[in-house]
Amino acid sequence: MTTHVTVMPEQFTLVAYDANRIAAIVRDLASLLGLSNPMAVEVDERTPLSKMSAVVAGTSSDHTITLRLQSGALEDTKHLTNFSEAHARRSLGQVMLRAKDRLRPDFADAPDDLALTNAQNTAWDVYCGGRLDRLGLDPIQQGYRYDFRNRFGFSDEVDCVFDQLWSADDLGWHDLPTVP
Amino acid sequence: MRQFFPVEDLARDDRFVQTNMAERISDTRSAVDLQRTAKSRGASNRLTPDRHDASDAARSLMHGIMVGEIQALEGAGRTAHDFDAGDGSEGTIPFELKLDMARQAWDEARHVEISVKLSDWMGTEIGQFQENTVLFEAACSNDPVLRLAGVNRALEGLAIDVFTQMKEFGQLADDPFLEFCEDWMLADEVTHVKMGSDWLRRVTENDPDRRAKALDFQRVVDKLFSFGGARGESEESPIGLARRFRELAGFTDDEVDTIAGMDHDALEERKEMVRLARETAGV
Repeated sequence: MTTHVTVMPEQFTLVAYDANRIAAIVRDLASLLGLSNPMAVEVDERTPLSKMSAVVAGTSSDHTITLRLQSGALEDTKHLTNFSEAHARRSLGQVMLRAKDRLRPDFADAPDDLALTNAQNTAWDVYCGGRLDRLGLDPIQQGYRYDFRNRFGFSDEVDCVFDQLWSADDLGWHDLPTVP
Repeated sequence: MRQFFPVEDLARDDRFVQTNMAERISDTRSAVDLQRTAKSRGASNRLTPDRHDASDAARSLMHGIMVGEIQALEGAGRTAHDFDAGDGSEGTIPFELKLDMARQAWDEARHVEISVKLSDWMGTEIGQFQENTVLFEAACSNDPVLRLAGVNRALEGLAIDVFTQMKEFGQLADDPFLEFCEDWMLADEVTHVKMGSDWLRRVTENDPDRRAKALDFQRVVDKLFSFGGARGESEESPIGLARRFRELAGFTDDEVDTIAGMDHDALEERKEMVRLARETAGV
């Protein structure tokens, strides 16, 4: 079954992005991740930043998942304002993995994405990053490691926690480290 | 060996993609809050570890530093080579100035290596971001005095601001390498600016028109290097103006005030440009 996907805006004016191309990537990733919920993608093309968030209307497969991304999350960093398929797949994959986590009962206590602390946000990103790696989307592990160290500290103990998170596949919200 | 190298001929492998200021300015998106006024101060845009995008922003800036160091190396090397030794008139430079440029090239080569290692540490791949060639363009003048003004005072002055910001970032994040490396590079940059200031004064000692022309050129380059207000004393600017280190490098208070004013104007011009672009695009 093909996932229903809408992308806003339908026409981009400040960046050279194509809504149909974004929708196709979301459908492909939904199939890869086993997500059948309708998806609404909202891209803020006014900012070059790359913040992302997912809002899940409910936990059944009928409920719409809204993915909000700033334009930098889909951008080719070598050709600014242009779209990067690889970057888009990594960013959308990450935010869709979060949405998939939110469908699980053991993520019911997770605050909204925009209410997460920097440390919570980074820990969840690392958990997603490891899974993206195993899905073949080639995230840069060292970048995630640096983010994690920046939030939790530069020590061998923190690196061990990072390695456990990166290799995990079945964690609940309360399994993620929150306090540096 | 060939002299006066144009920016288009810089040697890069296929990992690098180059851009220029015109292309950068044509990107009318902005991270700046256009509704914000001096009375409604919200969250700071300063590049500090508590920003939600701190690591991404620091990686991008570190890559900019790395390519900037490559271009600074190329610029100092060209100035050492492009002009014959002489008394500083008619396309010549004093031999001691050549030696200082050679020393600077050596420093910049070391900075490139340090920046590559820091980029690796932070999780950035070489060539991951585009390379803005505006730094080398400031080193392409036929007059060596303009190069001193554009490269040693404006470019290296910007480097002082950037390294101070990154040093503070490393300090706040407790990054064991970043603060240390930035502090050492910062010390070199202060020396490079001081060298530029001293040589500019000496070479133009009896030629006030040439000195005035060089300082005019420096103001043009300084405005370009404010990158639409990305550097400035306002909290809206990610990179602050490092007054204390600029003072150590030989900038007067008036000169720093002038740069701060240009940064402020550049930020306001950029905001107006973004506002107009959004109105036109209807977003």
